[in-house]
Amino acid sequence: MKKTNNKKDFKVPEGYFEGFTDKLMERVSTSNADQQNLMLPKSDGFKVPDAYFEGLHSKIQAKLEGEETKVIPLNPWHKHLYYAAASVAIVVLLTIAIQFNQSPELTFESLANADIEDYFEQTDLGFSTYEIAEVIPIDDLEVSDILEYQFKDENIIDYLDDDIDNIEELNLLDND
Amino acid sequence: MIAEETLLNELRRPETLDKAFEVLVNTYKERLYWHIRRIVLNHDDSDDVLQNTFIKVYKNINGFKGESQLYSWMYRIATNESLTFLKKKSNKMGISDAELQDRMVSNLQADVYFDGDEIQIKLQEAIARLPEKQKLVFNMKYFQEMKYEEISGILHTSVGGLKASYHLAVKKLEAFLKED
Repeated sequence: MKKTNNKKDFKVPEGYFEGFTDKLMERVSTSNADQQNLMLPKSDGFKVPDAYFEGLHSKIQAKLEGEETKVIPLNPWHKHLYYAAASVAIVVLLTIAIQFNQSPELTFESLANADIEDYFEQTDLGFSTYEIAEVIPIDDLEVSDILEYQFKDENIIDYLDDDIDNIEELNLLDND
Repeated sequence: MIAEETLLNELRRPETLDKAFEVLVNTYKERLYWHIRRIVLNHDDSDDVLQNTFIKVYKNINGFKGESQLYSWMYRIATNESLTFLKKKSNKMGISDAELQDRMVSNLQADVYFDGDEIQIKLQEAIARLPEKQKLVFNMKYFQEMKYEEISGILHTSVGGLKASYHLAVKKLEAFLKED
């Protein structure tokens, strides 16, 4: 690489190269400062009370000594109080438990219908339609047990006439 | 300044403990105070947390295994104490952490130990909105001018992760300040 311009086609201001490095470094540092959070203030505005740090060690030492000299009595009065409270709590709990055991036994009849319905609505029993059909005696069921609305016979006949294309589909075999 | 290893040895010997503890407090009190203050914002709360931090250091110095530097360990205690303090405060007041941060910044205007101008209050508002990790990294890097390697030893995060956190924090803060 040629270090000099031997032909001297162009000229530069006198002393240009001498000051080049300094100018460049100045520009680099300015550019860095620009990049580094020019938007953000450098101080945060927090202050401390005068001489706060001077007295800090004494405060901590006093706190430590206070903790070390805290004596826990061997037989504190509140220890007996805890025992008494615990005894009372045990007596109360036993009384409640005995009374609860003496209450009449719950039977299926004592459950409100609403409770049973609510249980079936809220619980996913995981039974298929066929499994349910197997345990429900079909002879005891009426259409009104299943349908919310009552239909007149003529409405049903009209429906079958108008909407069922192939009436044979309804003649299900026993094993269908 | 006394070498950390010497100080640690003296802290572990009962006959030199109290004197060494005084040196420890005097060496680190200001740095830890400002670290805590930038998390809890209020002077009285910072004073409480700082004292508790040193008391924990005193009581647990024999449990310090020397796996990290002493000051990193103390910074970790100070950070945990500050964050626990804020958590307890928000639970006690029955408000969320974000709501507590908002209230802390609002209280700055009436704080006799805060003389920040409008832009400094706005900066605190913006910092309060940062995620916890970014907030810690920003305060430690920007205000305390700690090196990434030092922060890494305290927060147990890689230098790369810290640089990313700091960069994100600065971008968010600048965007917030530019809003108005």
